[in-house]
Amino acid sequence: MNRVRNFKLFLWSLIGLGAAVATARFMFGLGATTNLSDAVPWGLWIGFDVMSGVALAAGGFVLTATVYIFRLEKFHGIVRAAVLTAFLGYVAVAVGLLFDLGLPWNIWHMIVFWNPHSPLFEVGWCVMLYLTVLLLEFLPVPAESFSSLARVRTLLVRLRLPLVIAGISLSTLHQSSLGSLFLIMPSHVHPLWYSPLLPVIFFLSAIALGLMMVTLEGLITSYLYRRPPETELLAKLGRAARWIFLIYLGVRFTDLVVRGQLEHLSEGVWQVKMFWVEIALSAVIPSILLFISKVRNTLTGLWIVAPTAVVGIVLNRINVGGLVHQQRGETLYLPAWTEIIISAAIVAGAALAFLYMVEKFHVWERHPVDPEAQPKAMPAFDIASFASLGSPQIRSRTVYSLAFIFAAALGFSLLSQNALSSRGMDPAPVGKARGWNEMWIDGNLDGFGTSFAHQKHFARGGGDSTSCAICHHANLPHDRFTGCYQCHRDMYSATDAFRHNWHASPAGAALRCFDCHRLGEVKSAATAKSCSQCHQDLKPSGVVIAVKNNQAASYTEAMHGLCLGCHKEQAAALNKADLARCGNCHRERKPLVDDPVLAKRYEVLESKGVIVPKVSEPRFPGFPVPTPPESQMSLQDRP
Amino acid sequence: MQAWIDFGEGPLFRFSFVLMLLGLGRIFVLTLVNVAEAYRRSPDKILNYREIRHKTIAWLIPTSRLWRKRPVYSGISFLFHLGLILGPLFLTAHVNLWKLSVGFAWFTLPQGLANLLTLAAIIGALALFLMRVFYSPARALSRRQDYAWPLLLAIPFLTGYLMVNNTLTAGAYQAMMLVHLYTAAFIMLLIPFTKIAHCVLVPLSQLVTAVSWKFPAGTGARVLETLGLSERPTWVDKPRLDIAPVKLPDLIKVQSQKKEAKAS
Amino acid sequence: MKAILTDTTLCIGCRDCVVACRQANTLEPEVPRRWETRDGLSARNWTSVVERPNHVYVRKQCRHCLDPACASACPVGALRKTSEGAVIYDSSKCMGCRYCMMACPYGIPRYDWDRPVPYVRKCILCYGRIKQGKPPACTEACPTKATIFGDRDTLLQEAHRRLHDNPKRYAGKVWGESEVGGTSVLYISDANLTFLTRGRELGDNTIPGRTASAMHAVPFAFVGMAATMSGISWIISRRMDLQPKIPKEKPEDQKDKRDE
Repeated sequence: MNRVRNFKLFLWSLIGLGAAVATARFMFGLGATTNLSDAVPWGLWIGFDVMSGVALAAGGFVLTATVYIFRLEKFHGIVRAAVLTAFLGYVAVAVGLLFDLGLPWNIWHMIVFWNPHSPLFEVGWCVMLYLTVLLLEFLPVPAESFSSLARVRTLLVRLRLPLVIAGISLSTLHQSSLGSLFLIMPSHVHPLWYSPLLPVIFFLSAIALGLMMVTLEGLITSYLYRRPPETELLAKLGRAARWIFLIYLGVRFTDLVVRGQLEHLSEGVWQVKMFWVEIALSAVIPSILLFISKVRNTLTGLWIVAPTAVVGIVLNRINVGGLVHQQRGETLYLPAWTEIIISAAIVAGAALAFLYMVEKFHVWERHPVDPEAQPKAMPAFDIASFASLGSPQIRSRTVYSLAFIFAAALGFSLLSQNALSSRGMDPAPVGKARGWNEMWIDGNLDGFGTSFAHQKHFARGGGDSTSCAICHHANLPHDRFTGCYQCHRDMYSATDAFRHNWHASPAGAALRCFDCHRLGEVKSAATAKSCSQCHQDLKPSGVVIAVKNNQAASYTEAMHGLCLGCHKEQAAALNKADLARCGNCHRERKPLVDDPVLAKRYEVLESKGVIVPKVSEPRFPGFPVPTPPESQMSLQDRP
Repeated sequence: MQAWIDFGEGPLFRFSFVLMLLGLGRIFVLTLVNVAEAYRRSPDKILNYREIRHKTIAWLIPTSRLWRKRPVYSGISFLFHLGLILGPLFLTAHVNLWKLSVGFAWFTLPQGLANLLTLAAIIGALALFLMRVFYSPARALSRRQDYAWPLLLAIPFLTGYLMVNNTLTAGAYQAMMLVHLYTAAFIMLLIPFTKIAHCVLVPLSQLVTAVSWKFPAGTGARVLETLGLSERPTWVDKPRLDIAPVKLPDLIKVQSQKKEAKAS
Repeated sequence: MKAILTDTTLCIGCRDCVVACRQANTLEPEVPRRWETRDGLSARNWTSVVERPNHVYVRKQCRHCLDPACASACPVGALRKTSEGAVIYDSSKCMGCRYCMMACPYGIPRYDWDRPVPYVRKCILCYGRIKQGKPPACTEACPTKATIFGDRDTLLQEAHRRLHDNPKRYAGKVWGESEVGGTSVLYISDANLTFLTRGRELGDNTIPGRTASAMHAVPFAFVGMAATMSGISWIISRRMDLQPKIPKEKPEDQKDKRDE
């Protein structure tokens, strides 16, 4: 039974990783653990966990219809497993939804606050009701094992037909309504996928996927438990499925022709390639292979067809669910590893529950032989340490929990610090402002900035050295011309101006702790020596702005803080409101160069794609002439 | 070296800390579950829970019998444990790190008291190590890991103390920080899988003992014998196979007689 | 029904509306985040000024559609079109499915991605202020009266008057008059504003109308499916009952029957 044990170990490890990510998800929010954004608000958790999950569980209603409505009794042997898969699938969908919802504790609001216009409202209700129906459909199986539940079981068996009919109707509704969800996004979904027939397309593909998933699940479990696969039955499922694949293919293309969207197929964008891959996997290949009886009737053939079709139709759901939406900005969404882990962990949980159920209850005709399920089995001994591992039950507890905790610890160690603190901010290093009498200030060197009349401001401040001190408030040690960017090193977040690591490093200043901190005191910035106690030449004379010890505000904040105060005062004093408006300093790039006056002062460095001030002779002899930096930024247009 | 320190403060710390927490939880739950299982299988179902509770509490409280018998040992051990637990948990520097990384902080000890507790842990560890070496009954009961543990536990405390209270050069400081971080991580990794797991298992110790009394003497050895594995691992005393094992049917008979006597 | 009319030919791009909006709604200062789009809107920035070529500044904000897609999409009815014209958001109802963000044809609603308790954020036409009879903060702050507040009908008349008086100055269209069934935020401009919908013409049909037909079919589909299945089940079981009983069942099948 090593296959089962190893598989379960693998599943438990996934759940462990998932538990770590889940903690971060609920502590720090969606931004910390997903790659979702305002441009792509739905991602893998909707596309895979919810949309594909519901479709993957379609086998339940297809097979109950086959057995209890159409009375094809030969499929009776697999209907229980199919119902169980469906039930666990829907539970997985619900759990996945809890991860994706921003406020999962409000999920019950759907029951209280109604909005019948919303397809999502309908999907939610149908899923809730169908989950109940599935529970009632499956309950007779575990009830067999408890004699006290005999009466409940009899009642449920008597109610089976109405339950099955309710289940089929509910499934029809929400399988198709998952397609209706996207009818409201005509301008987002790519025209190759957007169609008023989306509900029908979703329903058809769900039936096909349901059949293929039942096949795949039969194959996997027969491999795991080394039990004879029901090849004959599965082949019959395949025979039915091939027609559905064909109809699906027909509907997709007829729809494209009728809507006149075939021309999109000749476009050279990646969505078209994606369309062909999806169609091939989800319809063309499975239907062709299933028409070949040699493929249909052999184990190898089924092992090829079923996974192909499953991957194909899941791809369809992910595509419609967000992947092929017109990208609203410039970002292409790819799921973060944390998102993938959560999805995998939910599937792993459902799989473990499935294995538990088949080992414990009469789901299949023949019970799988599993020592872990037998409490009276002989204890196992670890050969290496001679320690008793107890009965197989105890042993499995020991090793599975071990796998879980190691995986969880690994998951925590892999979560990045940035994800944990949920800042979601990429570092934006700041570059030098260029020019002298006229300065071009664009901290992040993207070509958008403000021109600053340095000389004029200097003159307005009095024109002597004290006027320098109005703005320039600190220099690096042994430097008299420290630029703003050298301490305010990030465009949007505060930075450490002190560089503790450098001061403490043997390769840096190699100071001892107690050169700055006092012995026996808590070591913090507040209790340490101030910079000026070591660096005498830090402040220019007559400084107005106080220097805080170690934190330098973000570049934007520093610049705005410096300019806006005076500008507002002057705007009020001179009654010139424009002086304090954003547009007074922030001008467009293009007019700046077109403007005959400004064009005298600035030039576009075509080779570098940046705008730089024309370097003029410095007014103060001895000052270095700044050279334009080797900027990496291009002149790409904004949207 | 800074990169190694960053790794030790970040991913390595998170890995070992989470593994310690979850591992301790796991061992606690597993012990409870397995005790319940053993109880279910044992023929004798009578457990004196009140006595178990009393004994458990008595072992935790410093006025127990052991204190009267071996006051020096008990005193050192108590101070050692106090320093070991309170020191790292309420040290200002540690709490500040939590505040920076996850955003919440708690009560901290004044630096002087923290120093005292750290010293208590270091001296206690050394004393306990010496006791193991020079006190023959202790030596007889000791395994290799029992000698290693006090010394290993002392390292992060020693480095921490030196870093706080000494004027070190930057290089020495970093080296010490490295040792501090990595030994602490190593200890946290080992805690749930070694005898240090007693930090959560103590409340269960008396229960486990009581349940194990419910099995006839020599059962374990007899199981080994039956399986043809009577060669024992070296660190376990030779099993006392000379004791005639009580036969299960006899025990049940005695029990049923007792019950009948009660009923009548 | 109140509305906002923005005349981009008057806008000087001063961003006073942005500042006023932030103060009126007590929004936190904003820094660029990974999840933000480049049009300047975010959970902490409910309106923005988009710079277009040739000195054209276009203020972007929620359009407050007459038949809003977001309100129709929201499964719990957290978004609502009020009689005053504002599309407002009830955070106490929201469950965070973000279907409104997917549904909005203009891509307006934003999300608090960085919070453990996130809400949907967008312009609410300063609903509290217009209830008190005050104009929205942005229109009050505008120094050139490029964006004005008033009754929708009056503003439409005004817009058409400007188009009529100065046909050369404007591209002859009032954006939002009939687009997606009409919006409460109207634009007149000298430039083409289809960039607000990613270069696509949305047409005059309302967006919720697209799902309405599918949603109307729901009860019929349910009843129809249930009736069909019951019928088939009745016919098949009756035919099976009427069939002469042939003892062809294998012992395994009998074991199955035990469950029935």
